[in-house]
Amino acid sequence: MPDLILSGVSKSFGSTRAVETTDLTFAEGQLTALLGPSGCGKTTLLRMLAGLENPTRGTIRLGHEDITDLPAHKRKFGMVFQSFALFPHYTVRENVAYSLIIGGTAKPEALEKAQTLLDTVQLSSFGDRRIGELSGGQRQRVAIARALAQEPKVFLLDEPMSALDAKLREEMQVELRLLQQRLGITTIVVTHDQREAMTMADTIVVMSNGRVEQVAPPKQIYHRPANSFVADFIGKANFFDGVYSDGSVQIGKLALDISANFAAGSPVRLAIRPESICLVTEPGQNCIDAEISFVRDLGPVKEYHLRSDIGPMIAEHAGTDGMDLMAGEKTLVHLPADTLRVYPQTAA
Amino acid sequence: MRAGGTIFMSLAALLLAMPIVVVCAAALNGGRSMFFPPRDPTLARFGEFFVSEPVWTNALTNSIIVATGAATLAVLIAWPVAYLLWSTGSKLSKALAGVGSLPFAVPPIVIGVGLGFFWSFTWGLGHLWSGVISHAVLLMALPLVTISIGLQSIDRSHLDAAATMGATEQVAFRTVVLPQTVPYTISGFFFVLVLSFNEFIVIFFVSASAYSTVTLQIFNSLRNGYTPTMAVAAITFLTVSILVFAAVARWGDLPRLMGADQTRK
Amino acid sequence: MTVSENIQIAAERSPALVRRISPKTVLYAALSTLVVVFCIVPFILVIVISFGRKVDGAGWVWDLTFDNYQRFFVGVLWPDEVTFLYLQQLGNSFYFAVIASVLAVLTALPFTLLLTRLKRSAQAIWLVFILASLSMSEVFIVMGWDILLSNNSGLPKLFQVTGFTQWLKDVGWFQTLRDIGLANPRNVKFKPSGFATILTMSYLVWPYAVILLYPAFSRLDPSLAEAARTMGANRWTVIRTVTLPAIRLPLMGTTLLLFVFLLGSYVSVSVFATPDKQTTAVAIYSNIRGSNLDAPFGSAQAVILLISASVCLCFGHLLNSKAEAR
Repeated sequence: MPDLILSGVSKSFGSTRAVETTDLTFAEGQLTALLGPSGCGKTTLLRMLAGLENPTRGTIRLGHEDITDLPAHKRKFGMVFQSFALFPHYTVRENVAYSLIIGGTAKPEALEKAQTLLDTVQLSSFGDRRIGELSGGQRQRVAIARALAQEPKVFLLDEPMSALDAKLREEMQVELRLLQQRLGITTIVVTHDQREAMTMADTIVVMSNGRVEQVAPPKQIYHRPANSFVADFIGKANFFDGVYSDGSVQIGKLALDISANFAAGSPVRLAIRPESICLVTEPGQNCIDAEISFVRDLGPVKEYHLRSDIGPMIAEHAGTDGMDLMAGEKTLVHLPADTLRVYPQTAA
Repeated sequence: MRAGGTIFMSLAALLLAMPIVVVCAAALNGGRSMFFPPRDPTLARFGEFFVSEPVWTNALTNSIIVATGAATLAVLIAWPVAYLLWSTGSKLSKALAGVGSLPFAVPPIVIGVGLGFFWSFTWGLGHLWSGVISHAVLLMALPLVTISIGLQSIDRSHLDAAATMGATEQVAFRTVVLPQTVPYTISGFFFVLVLSFNEFIVIFFVSASAYSTVTLQIFNSLRNGYTPTMAVAAITFLTVSILVFAAVARWGDLPRLMGADQTRK
Repeated sequence: MTVSENIQIAAERSPALVRRISPKTVLYAALSTLVVVFCIVPFILVIVISFGRKVDGAGWVWDLTFDNYQRFFVGVLWPDEVTFLYLQQLGNSFYFAVIASVLAVLTALPFTLLLTRLKRSAQAIWLVFILASLSMSEVFIVMGWDILLSNNSGLPKLFQVTGFTQWLKDVGWFQTLRDIGLANPRNVKFKPSGFATILTMSYLVWPYAVILLYPAFSRLDPSLAEAARTMGANRWTVIRTVTLPAIRLPLMGTTLLLFVFLLGSYVSVSVFATPDKQTTAVAIYSNIRGSNLDAPFGSAQAVILLISASVCLCFGHLLNSKAEAR
């Protein structure tokens, strides 16, 4: 199974641009997550891959084959819909066998194959049920089995977990990832949930406003976000705006040392993860005064909401940090230079 | 307030049922005249209506032919119009749906007169088939509405799902659209059936006294005084209506068809 | 679909190209023909014939004369003599239709409100009952009321047997009933009368009123009324300040539709109305199928009825789209 390649693809609806010109390669056998806030164009991108929307410009290739103008029913990429789109007038088994039956496979044979797939998704005894009798999690398994029945070259999932409750969601993420690895099928998942993307994906594509912001493995997305949007969207981050000069960033009267180079006098934005900020007692490099405004003890972690001269920030410690600080107390915070990410300030 | 509401609804139901009950009870009269309460109760009038009196059996046969024919025809015309309206939403399809509903929206006597003229120029006046078409035209608006409601209830992602599984537009229509709209189509069919059965003024103008349906026969007999056999007709019609609507309520979603809010139970 | 649209657009731009005829185009053409022939042509015929001329003993001929309209508005002998007989009939049509439709809507209003508060399954049962009564033919309903109101059986008989008539005489209300024509010297008498006509017409459209009000009422958000109640409004204030404003437009729209429907009602008027209160619908009937045999004049009356109805319908449509927009 070859790679799926988008080159110069864009999509407009009337005068609104849903997807800006995009080049992407979805590697064979890998799971890619399209991650972004709602309305960022990720679903439109997925629908173009499925053949449900025609790109306004650009080409989509599967290996060497140009499939840009191939309609959805000829592309036959298996797709799981947000609502699952299971047919209420068919039984579970008939739903799974749908693509085989309309594709010309003899009915008994198709139903037998469907049963095998239901076994795979652990719904062996549910074949004769109606869709209305299934729980959300069961519906999702049926939708996955149905999409895989036609042995698609590419497997697409549009927000597959959004209809499930939180606990089930985490279980299904692991299960889906294991299934995908076992089948080795090229898979693309659209999601707005970063935990979901981090759990399942080999590669994450972060999108916003129809643009691709970063393409990287999950770890890199988290630790080395390409810009302040990604830093903000993935995980939590504290931001400070300042001006760069000579190895440090001036924020108000204070200066913080950083380990990156910029043109002198250029406005920059600093980002730091809450878990990188330490509450300390000894002054040192990049240590500033702060006052605790609120303490949020969540058990495994403790969040300190702080006020400082460079602005408010949130620090996160392990729940067992042994500190016994209360709101209203003064403390020193340390912002380690190597954990401070620096981005040029965007016009917005 | 709660008790007051129940009393009000019961009173309304009573008033609504009163003339119907009176007509139905009159069917049991033994003599030739209508009395209420019935005198000398008998079921002989049912035999007259269904079996022995050709005037009534012919009228009943005509009514059944016109109603089933009109219902079939109306559904057959309304289906493509509703489908075009739903799948394209084009101006032309909207115009088609609007014009198709016109005969139902104007006073029935006007379309009755119009269709009477129309058939007198097209050699249809007084034929049963023209009655069938006339009722189909008059009542087409009903299946148009029910089928449109049915089509709107189809989740568009079902069509997308079918496409990603290899279904062409025709296959998706056959396997997804058609099965999901069957209850709505049947509802539309039965609405036309029942209303055509009971319709009077249009069939009066297009039949030109060449044949009569049950409602026409009753109207013709209005001047000569009522006979209990007419009341049997009323019972028959009422029974058909109740059976049909009960079936729609049982196998379809009647409150939704009548426009109730989907989200509330 | 997009592809065929493109083809169509291309074809429209360059008429020289041979237009590819898709099945959809054929379908559109067939449906348009069908709908125009059966839904438009009858109306056009009515309009055209209304300009025709009656020929004594030979039916009527095509013409372009306004005589029929003149006759309708000022009488056939105008300008020597003016008669408003036909305008008066139209007035009667309006009179019966307005009172009957308003009455039906006003009584259907609380009923529908109560109906939508019931459980969905109970609503379905009520709807079956209402739809069954809605579909009952006008002839059956007229028959039912005719028996109920007739002098030898039904209510007048019941009144006499139970002594209600005597009681009415005793308290002196009987004379009032006689004064408004609802009683003869011996007993109450309900037909023929405007009362019986309006009662039957109202009854006829009452189920329609419920069915038409039902969607709007069942979409009323009960939390609005609840919010008003938490702010101290009593039930009546809630209905006056929250419920009624929310349903004002569907209420008016429904009244209009029923009114249009009743404008053309024939059987109830012909059976129950007194001879001096006959309506345009009855006149149309007697001109086209009845004794007069004056199709052009009947058509002219039908056109006027159609215009009255269209004006009301347009007004109703306007109200509806205003309601939808909110």
